[in-house]
Formats: sequence, C-alpha cells, structure tokens
Amino acid sequence: MTIGRQGNYAGAVSRLAAFAADVGISWGLFTAAVALLSVATQLFGGTTVSLTHHQILAIIAVAIWEFLYFSYSWAVSGKTVGMALLGLQVVTAEGGRMTARQAALRTLGLVLCFLTLGIGFLGILFQRNRRGLQDFVAGTSVVYSWDARAARLRFMSHTEFSKQRDAK
Amino acid sequence: MELMAQQVAERVVALVLDAIDIDALLDRIDVEKLIDRVDVEKVVERVDVERIIERVDVQKIIQRVDINAIIGELDIDALVEQTELGAIIAHSTTGILSEVLDVIRAQGVGLDDFCFRWANRLVGRKVTDWPKGPPLLVEEEAPS
Repeated sequence: MTIGRQGNYAGAVSRLAAFAADVGISWGLFTAAVALLSVATQLFGGTTVSLTHHQILAIIAVAIWEFLYFSYSWAVSGKTVGMALLGLQVVTAEGGRMTARQAALRTLGLVLCFLTLGIGFLGILFQRNRRGLQDFVAGTSVVYSWDARAARLRFMSHTEFSKQRDAK
Repeated sequence: MELMAQQVAERVVALVLDAIDIDALLDRIDVEKLIDRVDVEKVVERVDVERIIERVDVQKIIQRVDINAIIGELDIDALVEQTELGAIIAHSTTGILSEVLDVIRAQGVGLDDFCFRWANRLVGRKVTDWPKGPPLLVEEEAPS
C-alpha cells in the first residue's frame, strides 16, 4: 500500500475512474428522476412524460443536470460522489478551498476538454502539476484527499480486533 | 431433694440470664478474631455439596419459573449494547466497506504512478524534482 499521499497531486487513472463513476451515478439519478416524473404525471395528470420524443429538450435537460451535478458538488465540498469514492478532491492551484465560481468554470472547462477531443486531458499525464485544461481554466488542481496512513492504521486495528475476537 | 435442686438451678440460670446485658457482651466480643479462629476450609470440607445438589429438584424449579415473563422483561437493545455484538456487527460492516474502498484507492494510486512515470519516460522527461502537491498542502504535510 502506498503510504502518506494525502495532499499530493492525483494521477490520471484515479481521476478517470472517479469521472466514470460520476457519469454513471449522475446518469442513473437523471434516469430515475425522469422515471419518477413520468409516473407522477401519469398518476395525477393522465399523460406520460417521455424525453425520447423530445431529443433537443432531453439534451438540454441532461446538460443542465450534469452542469449542476458537477459544479454543485465541487462548490460544496470540492469533490463529487465518484471523487469521494476514489479519495480525490479539487482544490485551488495553491491548495486552498475552491470557490463556487471556480466550480462552475471547471465544469465548463470539462466541456472544453471534450470539444478538443480529449487533448485537454493530456496535461494530467504530462504536466508537472498534473493539471488538465479544466484545471487551467478554473485555476484548480486535483489532490488525493484519502489518507492512506489512516487507512493502514484502520486495517491494522481491524486485524487486531479480529485477533482479539477469535481469542475470546 | 433432687427436684428442689433442679428448681434452684433453673431459678439461678434465669436470674443470671436476666442480669446479663447481651448487647454489652456482644460489644466486647472481637468478631474479627473469632472469624480468624474459624477454619473455613474444614467447614467446607465437611459440607457434602453433591448430596445437596442431589436433593434439589431442578425440573421442579424450572417448571415454576415463568421464562416468558423473564424474556418479556429483557431489554434486548441494552443487552446488545452491553455485549460486543453491536460492536462486532458495526465493525465488520464498516470494516469490509472501508477495506474495499482502501483496496480500490490503493490500486488507483499505484496505477496513477505507473502511468505518470511511463508517459513521461516516453517523452524523455525526468520527473524526480517535480512538486508533489500544491504548496499549501505539501507545506502542511512536511513537518510530519
């Protein structure tokens, strides 16, 4: 286990895994919300809501939802659900707490990265501070918030607890 | 004559007993000393425990005990709190979850380093003197 990496720049694989988890989670939440809305309108209004017939509306709704999901999460705690799972956090370039404005800018920067066909992400692999285009746009960087040292202690205490329990 | 002697003796004993202040007598007795002189081991040896147990009708006692009433009065929640059962359940559940997360994160950190090292080796750059993290966070970590 890698020890004591809290506050260090996070690498590409963890960040990609966190992003993939976030896409899955946000998409699942969006689908569930649309399904709930559909059931509610069918129960109370007698009509069904289906975004498949309104593709432009669906794209706009998804874009707004994704923007809110990422920017709100970053503004509140500096991490999304996926980042929390992987033990990552977005901070300012100096290491301070990011603002709501930076969170919104970073979300737009993420869109920019996709518009450049992923070239904007290459900075995470090659740049000395492991910052992608979205980080340069918002003035942020991503660090490990996961305390590997504490995790090791937790693991050791768990092992000790199991030993004591077996001895009894 | 004998009868008279008997009557006199009874009368004397009664008078003596009336004259004795039992409380004062008990106050003068050193109970601790008395207990010290009693050979408890010898007393215990003389007690036939097996015989006492044989005389106890356990079935009869069990029949007279209302087990349902006892169970009804038991505070299971408090019992679980007092025993380590709650701690074991909580510990094993959170333990498994945090352990899984720790493993995933550790794998991620390992792969991050691997990819970063090889990507920069491919373009021929040395990354040894590069900053480990943002100045505020790395400075905070330095003293430990």
